[in-house]
Amino acid sequence: MSSKMADKKARESGRLRDADKRRVIDNITRLKRQRRQIENLERDNFHDDPHANLVLVNKKLPQFSDTNDSPATKKKKKTRGDHFKQRFRKNFQTLLEEEQLSIRGGPNYLTAQVPPSEYPERKFCAVCGFPSNYTCVTCGARYCCVRCLGTHQDTRCLKWTV
Amino acid sequence: MDGKMAPVLVLDNGAYTAKVGFSTEKEPRLIPNCVMKSKAERRKTFVGNQIDECKDLSGLFYVLPFQKGYLVNWDVQRQVWDHIFSKDVLNVNFADTVAMVTEPFFNFTSIQESMNEIFFEEYQFKALQRANGSTWSAHRYSSAQQKKPLCCVVVDTGYSFTHITPYCRGKKMKDGIRRLNVGGKMLTNHLKEIISYRQLHVLDETYVMNQVKEDVCYVSSQFYRDMETAKLRGKDNTVLRDYVLPDFSQIKRGYVKPLEEMNYAGKYKGGEQIIRMANERFAVPEVLFHPSDIGIQEMGIPEAIVHAVEACPEEMHPHMYMNIILTGGNALLSGFKERVFSDLRALVPQQLEVKVHQPDHPITYAWEAGVALSNTAGFDKMLVTRQQYDEYGQNICSEKFDV
Repeated sequence: MSSKMADKKARESGRLRDADKRRVIDNITRLKRQRRQIENLERDNFHDDPHANLVLVNKKLPQFSDTNDSPATKKKKKTRGDHFKQRFRKNFQTLLEEEQLSIRGGPNYLTAQVPPSEYPERKFCAVCGFPSNYTCVTCGARYCCVRCLGTHQDTRCLKWTV
Repeated sequence: MDGKMAPVLVLDNGAYTAKVGFSTEKEPRLIPNCVMKSKAERRKTFVGNQIDECKDLSGLFYVLPFQKGYLVNWDVQRQVWDHIFSKDVLNVNFADTVAMVTEPFFNFTSIQESMNEIFFEEYQFKALQRANGSTWSAHRYSSAQQKKPLCCVVVDTGYSFTHITPYCRGKKMKDGIRRLNVGGKMLTNHLKEIISYRQLHVLDETYVMNQVKEDVCYVSSQFYRDMETAKLRGKDNTVLRDYVLPDFSQIKRGYVKPLEEMNYAGKYKGGEQIIRMANERFAVPEVLFHPSDIGIQEMGIPEAIVHAVEACPEEMHPHMYMNIILTGGNALLSGFKERVFSDLRALVPQQLEVKVHQPDHPITYAWEAGVALSNTAGFDKMLVTRQQYDEYGQNICSEKFDV
C-alpha cells in the first residue's frame, strides 16, 4: 500500500505540479492587449520620421551688419497658413467629441458602425496562422501544435513587444 | 450660368489616393494623397506624385492628411492640393473652374465648413459641389442600366474603412448606411505584422508591403480547403508563392517568383531577399469578410450588406439585392466579387435574386461617375457659386449639398 503511494508520488506529472505557479493573465489585461494590437493596425508608420533630427541648413544665413539692430523691430507677419494651422489643429478624437453624437439622435458616425457578427469567431494560430484548436493558458493566444506553442512562449506570450 | 460651359474639375479625394482630373479627360490621375519622406533623400519631401522621382522607396515615411478616413491634417492636405492644382499637374485656373469634391459619409460639420472656406476663399473656385463618392457611383450605375433600377447598394471599400450605402431612386437611405472599420490600410498593416513576426522585419516597409499585398493576396472562395493546401509540402502546395523584395538598386520593384523558378526548399542562389507567402495570401484579405479573425468585433462585408439592406423598408429588398456595386481599391483583390456573391447568396432568402456588379475600374468608378454627373441636365442646380457663397455663407452649402 505504502509503496503504491510512493509510486504515485514519483509519477506525478510536472505539468500538473507547476500549474498553480504559472502566471495567468486576467481577462481585462487580455482585452487591453488585444485593443492595443488593433490600434497598432491603424498606424500610418511604425518607424520614426527619418527627417526628424535633421538639422536643416537655413537658406537665409544671418546677415551680419555693423549696426546693432534689435530683431524685435521686425514685424512678424501672420500668414494665412498660420491661421489655418491654429484653427484646424484638431485630431479625429476631438472632432468626434465636438459633434456630440452620443446625445444627438438620428443616423450618424457612431450609429453607422456595424455591430459584432452573429456568427461564431474562427480561431487561428497566433504563430503560423493555420486553424487552431488550443488556447495558451497564460495569455489566451491561440496555437495549433506543440511547436507553435513553444515559439509563442519564447517570443510573445508574456512579453508582447510588437 | 453663362452659356459657355466652364471647365469642371473632379476630385475624388481619397484618404490614400486622390483621383483628380478635368471632366473632359478620359481618366483621372491617381495621386498619392500624402507627403512622403525617404531615408535616402534627406533633403526633400515628396508631395503626391512627386514620389515617382524617388528612387529608393524603402522605409518610406508617410504623412497623411486623413485620420480614420476623415480630413484632419489640413496643412498636409493643402500641400497636396496646392501641388495638384499647380502647373506641375493640372494647372487650374480657379476663377473660371467648377470644382466637384467628394467627402466621406457623416463628415464632421467643421470639416465641411473648412472645405467650403478653402475652396471658395482660398482657391476661389467659380463654383463648388461637395458630395459622397458613393452617391456619384449610384447615380452613374442607375443611369447606365437599360431599365433604370429603383434601388442599389454601393459598397465602397477603401483605405481607411468600408462603407455600405443603400440608395433608393438616387437618394441615400441614411438609416441603412453601415461602416466597417476595415480597409486597405488595415490589411497592409496586418500583413506587415504577421510577416515581421514569422519571417522578416518589414514593419517600416509600408510602400513595399502594400505592393506585396496587391501582387499576391487574393480572396479565397474555399477558405478551409485553401488552408489545407497551404500546409502541403512541395509542388502540391499550389498556394505557395515566393515574393522577391526590391532592393532599389538591381531590383526596382518586387515581383512574384515565376512558378518554374520556384525552389520549394526555399534556397535561392542569387542574393535576393524573399518573402514566402502561403496562408498569408488569402488570410489577410479574409479580414474584410471576418474582421473577428484579428479580434475586431464587427460584421464582415456580406453580413454588413444584409444588415444595411434590412434597415430599409422591406419592399426595397429585392431591388437592392439585385443591384450591388463594388467600388474602391480592395475590390481589385482577385476573387473579391465571387466571394461577396457566394457569401451573400448564403445569407439572403432563397426567393430573392442576388446580383453583384463590379466595374472594370473600381478605384476610379466614383471619379468617372462624377464626370458623368457633370454632363447631366440640371447639374447647375447642384452647385453653389462663389457669388452665392459670398452672399449666404456656409448656410447655402449645407442646404444644397446632400452630404
